[in-house]
Amino acid sequence: MTKGFALRDLIDDRPQDGVFRVNRALFRDPTLFALEMKHVFEGGWVFIGLSTQAEHPHDYFTGFIGRVPIIVSRDGEGALRCFVNACPHKGVRLVQKLCGNARRHVCPYHSWTFDSAGTNRNIKWEKAGCYAAGFDEENHDLASVARFGEYRGFLFASLNADVPSLEEHLGETRKLIDLVVDKAPEGVELVPGRVTFTYAANWKMQLENCSDQYHFTSTHPSYIRILDQRARDQAPELVQAAFGAADFWQEDASGVTGGTYSFDHGHVLNWGVMPVSSAQPTYERAEELAREHGAARRNWMFNMRNLTIFPNMQIAENASSQLRVIRPIAHNLTEMQTWCIAPRGESAQARTLRIRQYEDFFNPTGMATPDDTVCYEEAQLGMAEQERPWLQGHARGLAASVAGGNAYSDMIDLRPARSVLADAQLCDESLFGSYYRAWAARMAGVLS
Amino acid sequence: MTSLGQAEAAAYLYREALFLDRLDFDSWLDLYTADCLFWMPAWRDDGTQTEDPDRELSLIFYRGRRNLEDRVQRIRSGVSVSSAVMPRVAHLIGNVLAERVDDTTTRVDSSFIVNVQDLRANRSHAYFGRYEHELRLEGDGWKISRKVIRLMNDVVPTMLDVYGI
Repeated sequence: MTKGFALRDLIDDRPQDGVFRVNRALFRDPTLFALEMKHVFEGGWVFIGLSTQAEHPHDYFTGFIGRVPIIVSRDGEGALRCFVNACPHKGVRLVQKLCGNARRHVCPYHSWTFDSAGTNRNIKWEKAGCYAAGFDEENHDLASVARFGEYRGFLFASLNADVPSLEEHLGETRKLIDLVVDKAPEGVELVPGRVTFTYAANWKMQLENCSDQYHFTSTHPSYIRILDQRARDQAPELVQAAFGAADFWQEDASGVTGGTYSFDHGHVLNWGVMPVSSAQPTYERAEELAREHGAARRNWMFNMRNLTIFPNMQIAENASSQLRVIRPIAHNLTEMQTWCIAPRGESAQARTLRIRQYEDFFNPTGMATPDDTVCYEEAQLGMAEQERPWLQGHARGLAASVAGGNAYSDMIDLRPARSVLADAQLCDESLFGSYYRAWAARMAGVLS
Repeated sequence: MTSLGQAEAAAYLYREALFLDRLDFDSWLDLYTADCLFWMPAWRDDGTQTEDPDRELSLIFYRGRRNLEDRVQRIRSGVSVSSAVMPRVAHLIGNVLAERVDDTTTRVDSSFIVNVQDLRANRSHAYFGRYEHELRLEGDGWKISRKVIRLMNDVVPTMLDVYGI
C-alpha cells in the first residue's frame, strides 16, 4: 500500500529551528480523517465514560469508540465490561438506548440473546438450524474490546491490543485526575442531564480550544462584560461567576498567572491561579481538603485547570466543572457530549451554584460556548486556503517552553514532559505540540 | 377582570412569538414579570427530562427577568460572533390549551416549531417542542410568570439562543 501522506508535509516540527507548524490539511482532508478514525480513535486508548454511569449490577450505557458502537455493562458479579455493541449474527446494533439496566440483551433482528457479561445465552432455534461444524467452532459471545481499563472511575478502552498499559498511557496525568476525584471522599459523579451539540468543523478545533488561553478575552468579551456587571450589581437573582475573583485572564494582571504542562501520549493541562474563595462551590470543604490532601493539593483543586487526555476527553474546571467527550463524525463535523461533573455528596447549595455557573458558560444554549463553536466553523472555512498551508497558531510560547516542570508542578509532585510558566498575556500555544506529536505517533504506520 | 380565555391566551403566545420573530427584544422582555422563571430542562436519558433544576442540569434556567436582560444585552453587544449575523426566525405555535388556575393565573400548554435560517452558515434548522406558560395578572395586564420550554430535538447544531426557542 502506498502511503499517501508524508508526515513532514503535515507537521513541521523542528525544535532546533524554533519552528512548530501544522498544515491546514489536518483539518480539511476527508482521506486523512478516515485514517485518523482508524488509527487515532480505533487504534489506541480513548475515554469511554465514568464507572458511575453503570453503578449497579446489570447497569449499562452505550457509546462509540471511533465509528464502532460499544456497550459498557456491569455484570452480575459487579465487574465492568466493554463490548462491541453489535450482534455477532448479522452485525445489528444490539442495544439502542443510551443507558439502562438489563440482565439480558436480546437482538431486535433475530433474537440472539446475551447476558450482562456479554455471554451468548441463546441462539434462536439453534438445534433446528442445521448449522455445520464451522459455526460451532466460532465464538458467539459479544466481542470484548481489546483493552479496557479504569483509573479512579474514569474508563478507557482500546480496540487495538498493541498499546501501552493504561497506567503508562495516562502517566503523570493521573495526578491531575486525582485533583478532580479527591474533591470529595466519595469521588465524582455526573450531574443528571446530558447536553450534546455538534459543530461543523474538525474535532481538533475543540481539542485545541480547551487549552487555548489566548482566545478567552477575544472570543468572550460579551460574556465577560456580563460577569463584570453581575459582580458590580450583586443582585440575588444573578449567578456570580466562579472566576470573577481570579485574575489569570485579566489583561493587566502582573506576575505569574498560570501556564501549561505537556505530557507524553498527547495529554496537556493549561491552568491559571484562582484563589481559594467562596465563589467556588468546593469552598465548603476547603479546610477539610487541606487536612486530607495538604494545602498545596487543595490550592491546586481551586486553580483553573483545563485537562485534555488525548484524544477525546477534556475536563474543564474553570467557570464550573465540565466533562467533555469529543466524537468526530466527519472531517468537518464533530459531536460534543458534555456533562457537569461534580463531587459526590456536596451540599445542596454547592451543587446548585455549580449547576448555575455551568449552564451560562458551558451550554450551547449559554453565553460563551456558542462564540467558540462559531469560531471553529469560521476556522474550518479558512482551512480551504492552500497557497499558504501552514497555520501560524502553534507558535506562542515556543521560546518559553522548558523540559520538565517548575515550582508550581513541584508543589504537587507533578512531573510533566514540558512546561511554560506564564503571565496573563503569554497564552502558550506550544502545548498543542503534544497533541500533534501523539497524533503523529498513532498515525505513524500510515504516514511516510 | 376575569381570567384569560382560550382565545386570549393563544393570542398572547402568538404575540410573544411575533416579538421574537421580529427580534424586538424590548417588547419581548416587557411580557415577563420581574421574578419570572425561564426554564429549558435538559434530557436525563432517552425518555425523561431533568425535573429538579437545583440538583439536575438544564439547558437554560433563569429565575428573574434580569437574566433574560443579560441575554439580550449579549446578543446586542456587538462583540459576540455568534450574534453578529442574526439568524432569521419564524415561530409556529399550535395545540394551545389554556387552563384557568384562578382569576389572576392561567396556565397554557402549546407546541412550537421555530424555523431558523442561520445566514452566517447558510443553513436552516427547526427546533421543536412544547411550551408551558404561566400567565399572571399584574396591575392592568397579563405577564409571563413562568415559561418552560421542553425541547425535543436537543442535539444542538452549534448554538441556540433565546430567539430560537
